[in-house]
Amino acid sequence: MREILLVRYGEVFLKGQNRPFFLRKLVDHVKLAVQEVHGHVWLSDGRIYVSDYSDQDEAIRRVSRVFGVHSVSPAVEMEKDNFEAICEQAAKMMSVKNGTFKVLAKRSDKRYPLDSPAIMREASGYILEHVPHLSVDVNKPDHEITIEIRGMAYLSVDRVMGVAGMPMGTNGKACLLLSGGIDSPVAGFMIAKRGVELCCVHYHSFPYTSERAKEKVLELARILSEYCGKMRVYVVPFTEIQMEIHEKCPENFTTLIMRRYMMRIAEILARKDGAQALITGESIGQVASQTMEALGCTDEVVNMPVFRPCVGMDKSEIIERAEAIGTMETSALPYEDCCTVFTPKHPATHPRKELVRRAEEKLDSQTLIDAAVAGTEIVEVG
Amino acid sequence: MIYLDNSATTRPFDSVIEKTVSCMRDAYFNASAAYKPAVDVDREIRACRKLIAAQLGAKEDEVYFTAGGTESDNLAILGYAETLRRPANFVCSAIEHPAVLDTIRRVEKLGHTVRELPIDSRGRVDLAAAEQMIDENTALVACMQVSNETGAIQPVAQLAALARRKNPDVRVFVDGVQGFMRVPMHMGKMGVDMYALSGHKIHGPKGIGALIVKKGIRLMPQTTGGGQEKNLRSGTYNSAGILALGEAVREMTARQEQIAAMRGLKECLWTRLSALEGVRVNGPLPQEKDSAPHILSLSFDGVRGEVMRNALESAGILVSTGSACASHKQKVSATLKAMGLTAEQADGTIRVSLGLYNMMEEMEETAAQMEKMFALLARYRRR
Repeated sequence: MREILLVRYGEVFLKGQNRPFFLRKLVDHVKLAVQEVHGHVWLSDGRIYVSDYSDQDEAIRRVSRVFGVHSVSPAVEMEKDNFEAICEQAAKMMSVKNGTFKVLAKRSDKRYPLDSPAIMREASGYILEHVPHLSVDVNKPDHEITIEIRGMAYLSVDRVMGVAGMPMGTNGKACLLLSGGIDSPVAGFMIAKRGVELCCVHYHSFPYTSERAKEKVLELARILSEYCGKMRVYVVPFTEIQMEIHEKCPENFTTLIMRRYMMRIAEILARKDGAQALITGESIGQVASQTMEALGCTDEVVNMPVFRPCVGMDKSEIIERAEAIGTMETSALPYEDCCTVFTPKHPATHPRKELVRRAEEKLDSQTLIDAAVAGTEIVEVG
Repeated sequence: MIYLDNSATTRPFDSVIEKTVSCMRDAYFNASAAYKPAVDVDREIRACRKLIAAQLGAKEDEVYFTAGGTESDNLAILGYAETLRRPANFVCSAIEHPAVLDTIRRVEKLGHTVRELPIDSRGRVDLAAAEQMIDENTALVACMQVSNETGAIQPVAQLAALARRKNPDVRVFVDGVQGFMRVPMHMGKMGVDMYALSGHKIHGPKGIGALIVKKGIRLMPQTTGGGQEKNLRSGTYNSAGILALGEAVREMTARQEQIAAMRGLKECLWTRLSALEGVRVNGPLPQEKDSAPHILSLSFDGVRGEVMRNALESAGILVSTGSACASHKQKVSATLKAMGLTAEQADGTIRVSLGLYNMMEEMEETAAQMEKMFALLARYRRR
């Protein structure tokens, strides 16, 4: 008898002929996740099993954060021949619970002398007899104990929900524009969850933003990397471009033109890194540069898809997600990510593309972009 | 690197580091133990008390060691408040460090009231207002010796005299963290009953400080246990910290002229900068008597303090905006606001604070860099 983890996977089930490819990826990521607690991982009967770890809580925490994992249950694996012993173990596991319960049985070994209804009946009876403070409720029980008869018998009570999604790396790579605010880490997480690998671009405006602001962004990337593995963060020096825009362009368009430059540079870095799309944390109408017209203006300068998973979310919904992911606390640190010096008093909310194009004509675009890309610092995170 | 954030913390003297190491290596004994090596340590601790007391016109048995300024502030305020049987009022300046201000606000929970003294445009406590606010029911008056943000030396003696006239039993507590050994203090002559100091602001180690309590004043301990420090502050003696603090005091005493010369550095820096349009000193001017020798608060018109600080950092010069304790909060400084600065002016403030390791060449370099950065950054002010 030993303790193991039962790991169920979610959407991978829907896959047809290429399911083995997805499963292989998923198993690899689970293996990577439990590396530090020395877990042994194997796939069998449509489940992933983890055993021989040094710290169960930590193993559960790590596995539940792997994209593609639907849920994790700590379970007991034991010999199936002695049914009495199985019941005894079930009673032991239920004795720490209060309220009502129900036994679920699954029997994939059809030669087993008891069938599923019989297992449920017998085990329930045993538990009721030995743990008198519990009662049975088959419709809405407080607890469910599952007894599965496979090669061995598996008993489990608790279930920790995983982050679900698709295994990392099964859906290409995209480049996240990471600002240090609340929205962009959430956007990155939502896309990564679909199996997309990430790299990040951050625009740094020293001395208008401080070393601490940069440190904060790297910390956000590190938190994301707990889910999506190692990634590269490109820190782009952006002061020069901001100053040029501030000096030469009409004030109401400065933010918009700045966004356009951010997109252009991100596309170059994304292509270098093998990414096929950009991700931003924009949400319709949140600020002046995120009205539909403004988004259109920023979109037109890039030739790759731009994903904006927060586009239809309210700020409160985004905050909720950020809290669940664990980036909120860091995002809320008060270091500025984009200096107010460069924020216009009255930004254009319904910009016309031709006007914006004309407004940025005065800038030596190529030189500015080349210099920013050349000065980019690469930080490996995770 | 040019380090000009000495009010945040100072670089320890070499002798302080050596003292810490030798104490940890050779004199690690528990000073309360009965055998000779421990008694030797205890004797050295006593010598440190004497040294500190001598700086303040106090007696050696009035010195209580703590873990630093914050703990001393807490012990003085809460320790005294808990001895009071009747509701009273507590008066402090509105610009106290949070270690005092937030602590004094806690006495409201004990049923007392708190009154905050306004300050004038030079950053000093308004004595006329104090005359109105302090009365016969005032139990404690707390005032810092030197403002951590502007370097304004507070009129502590006048305040103490005023308070005693209103209520002979009043206690006067001075947070001397920014003033100790850089601005003179004689507790007896100035009428100060309790005085808090910290080691790491005078080139000593962090995690050590003291509260000086005039004889006859009873405080309730805030840490109970083994009964050290006459039961006022339990906990095994931090002998390495205490001896190193003593060493810092000794070295500061030996460097008297250097402390005096610090004012010269500050004046030199300001002389260079005063030629620029749009640069101001917050608080007393460097040449004025009530300006501490080591702190200079500067505002640059149209350039945010944070940006100026970052820019100076890129030139290898480390300063802070407002005070380091507040700079991660990003609020407009209460001190500067109380002095009548607009939010924008307060936002454009940096604090330069000197230590004994600073030299004249550094002032030249700093002034030159500030001039350069100011010219550059002012071009990109918000339109």
